[in-house]
Amino acid sequence: MEFITTALILTCTYALLAAGIVILYKASRVVNFAHGEVAIVGGYVFYSSSTFAGAPSLWYGIAGALVFSIVMGAFIYLAIMRRVLGEPFYVPILITIGLAIVLKSAIIVIWHANQVAINVGVRPAVWLEGGATLSYMDLATVAVTAVFFLLLHLFLTHTRTGIQFRGTAENPLLASQRGVNVNFVLSLAWAIAAFAATLSGVLYGGRAFLSTESVTIGLAGLTAALVGGLDSLRGAVAGAFIVAISQYLTVRLIDPVLSQALPFLVLLLTLTLRPWGLFGTREELDRV
Amino acid sequence: MVRATANLRTSYLEANEILKRPYQRLLVASIFVCLVALPAASSGYFLHLINQCFLAGIGALGLSILTGYCGQISLGHAAFMAIGGFTAVILKAHLGLSFLVVLPASAIAGAFAGCIVGLPSLRFRGVYLAISTLAMHYSIIYLATAYQARFGSSASAGIPIDDPRIGPITLSGETSWYYFLLIFLSAVTFGCFNLVRTRAGRAWMAIRDRYVAAEALAINLTRYKLLAFMVSATLASVSGCLMAFNANVVTVEKYTLDLAIIYVAIIIVGGMGSILGTLMGAAFITLLPYAIDTLFDFLPRNWRFGSTLFGVQTGAVGLCIILFLLFEPKGLAELWRRIETYFARWPFRYRPLDAVRR
Repeated sequence: MEFITTALILTCTYALLAAGIVILYKASRVVNFAHGEVAIVGGYVFYSSSTFAGAPSLWYGIAGALVFSIVMGAFIYLAIMRRVLGEPFYVPILITIGLAIVLKSAIIVIWHANQVAINVGVRPAVWLEGGATLSYMDLATVAVTAVFFLLLHLFLTHTRTGIQFRGTAENPLLASQRGVNVNFVLSLAWAIAAFAATLSGVLYGGRAFLSTESVTIGLAGLTAALVGGLDSLRGAVAGAFIVAISQYLTVRLIDPVLSQALPFLVLLLTLTLRPWGLFGTREELDRV
Repeated sequence: MVRATANLRTSYLEANEILKRPYQRLLVASIFVCLVALPAASSGYFLHLINQCFLAGIGALGLSILTGYCGQISLGHAAFMAIGGFTAVILKAHLGLSFLVVLPASAIAGAFAGCIVGLPSLRFRGVYLAISTLAMHYSIIYLATAYQARFGSSASAGIPIDDPRIGPITLSGETSWYYFLLIFLSAVTFGCFNLVRTRAGRAWMAIRDRYVAAEALAINLTRYKLLAFMVSATLASVSGCLMAFNANVVTVEKYTLDLAIIYVAIIIVGGMGSILGTLMGAAFITLLPYAIDTLFDFLPRNWRFGSTLFGVQTGAVGLCIILFLLFEPKGLAELWRRIETYFARWPFRYRPLDAVRR
C-alpha cells in the first residue's frame, strides 16, 4: 500500500514537470533544461510569499507562485527565447542550460541556499491498511495534478486560445498568417510550463526539503517526458509513472546511489529501443 | 605596403600557412616570450591561476573539436575528465605506475570512453544526442562514485595522489607545473591547429555544416563522428589526469554536470569553431570567478553576505552563456577578428567581408 501511494505521488510530481517540458517542446521545439530550476525557484517563491505576512498563509503563497510563474514564463520567452527563434538547434538548448545556472545561483543569492520546507498541512488525513498514511499534502498533490491535466485538456480542446495554441504548435508560420498572435501563444506556453513546474516544485517542497540539490528533479521530469514521447501529454504521465516506479524500486531493493543514475539508464534504454518514446510521433527531423 | 599583400597569395604553400600576416607571427612570438619569462615576474598565486587556465584550455580544446568543428553537442565532458582522473588514481595511487605510463594510459582510456559515448551520435542528432551524453555522464559518474566509495580512504574525502615525476624532475611547485603545462598546451594547440586542417578536420566541418552533403561527398559519418568523440574525450581525459596530479587529490564531487557546462560556456564565450577563441574563452571563464572575487572587495561590507559571492560566481557563468549567445554568438574570437579587421583596413571603414568569415 505504501508502495502504491509513494509511487503515485512521485508520478504526480514528475508528470507535472514532464507536462511543462512537453508543452514547450510542442510549442517551440525547445527542450527546457532549466525546468527543474524553475520548479525549485517556484517552490522557494511560494515559501517566501506564504510567510510574507508573518504566519504561513496558503493564499499568499498561491498568489506569489502564480505571479512568479506568469512573469517568469513571459520574461523567458519575450526577453530571451524570442530572439533566438530560427537559430541552430543548439542555441536555445544552451540558453536554457545557462538559465538553469542563473536560476540555481539565484537560490544561493536570494535564499542563501537554505533548506526550506513548505509547511501547509502535513497532518495525516487518511489512514490506510498496513500503516500507511496520506497527508493533506499527498491528497493535494494527486488532486492538483488531476485538476491541472483536466484543465489543460479542456483548454487545448475547447477554447479559442487553446486551438490557436495547437495551430501554432503544428505550424507557426501558417498560424501567424491566419492571424494568430504567435508571440502571445508562445509566451503563454512558457507561462503554463513555468506554472506546471512551480506546482510540482511546491508539491515537492511540501514533502521534502527544497535545496539547490533538489533541482535534479528537472532531469527526472525530462526523462519522463522523453520516455513518454517529447510531444505527447499522455506520454508525459506514462513516462512519469515508469520513472517513478523504477526509481522507487531501485531505492528500496538495490542501491540508493544508483537511483541518481537510474533515470538516465531508463533514458538510454528508451533512446536505443524507441527514440520517439511510448506515445510520441515518429519524426525524421532530429533522429536519423 | 606590407599589409596589403596579406590577402594575396601567390602559391599553395602560402595558403597553408597558419600565421599569414607578419604581425601575427610577431604577436605569437612576443606572447610566447612573455609567457616563458612570466614566472620570474609574478607571484605564486598568479602562476596558480595561469596554470588553471592552461588546464582548462587543454580540456576545452577537446570540446571545441567536438562541438565547434564537428557540430556534436556534448554534455559529457566532465565524465571524460573523471575518466582521466580515476585512471590516474587507479594506476598511480593504487598500482604505483610512473607518470609517464599514466598519462598515455589515461589518453587511451579516454579514447575508449569517447568511442562508447559517441555511439549514440550515429543514431541521434541535436537535442537527443545532448540528452544521451547527459545520460552517459551520469552513468560514468555513478561508476566513479562506486569506485571512490569502495577504494577511497573515506567516501567523501577523495583519494590522494602523489606529485608526478618525469625522470629526475618532480612536478611540485607552481613554476615547474607552469613550464610543463606551457609546453603541453602549446603542443596540443599546435596539434589542434593542424588537426582541423587535415582530411579529418575538413570532414568534421563538412559534417557540422550539412551532414547530408557531407555524406554525399563520400565522408564516412560513422568513422569521423566517432573520431571526433575519441579526440575530444582523449584531450578531456588527459586534462582530467593532469588536473588530478595538479590538485593532488581525486574526488568524484568535482566532476559534476556544472563542470561540463563550464566547458560548454568556455567554447561559447570563446567562439564555436575557433581554436584561438577556445583558449581566450578558457582564460575568460577560469579567471571570471577570481575577477568577481576581487570586485566584491570593493563593495560595501553588508553586501558581501555569506554565500552571495559563491552564488554570483556560479551565476556569472550562466549569464555569460546567455549574453554571448544573444549578442555575440561567435564569441571572443569574433571580437578579436573585428579588431584585427579594423586595424588592417585603417583608416577606411568598410564593412567586413562576411563571405570569408569561416
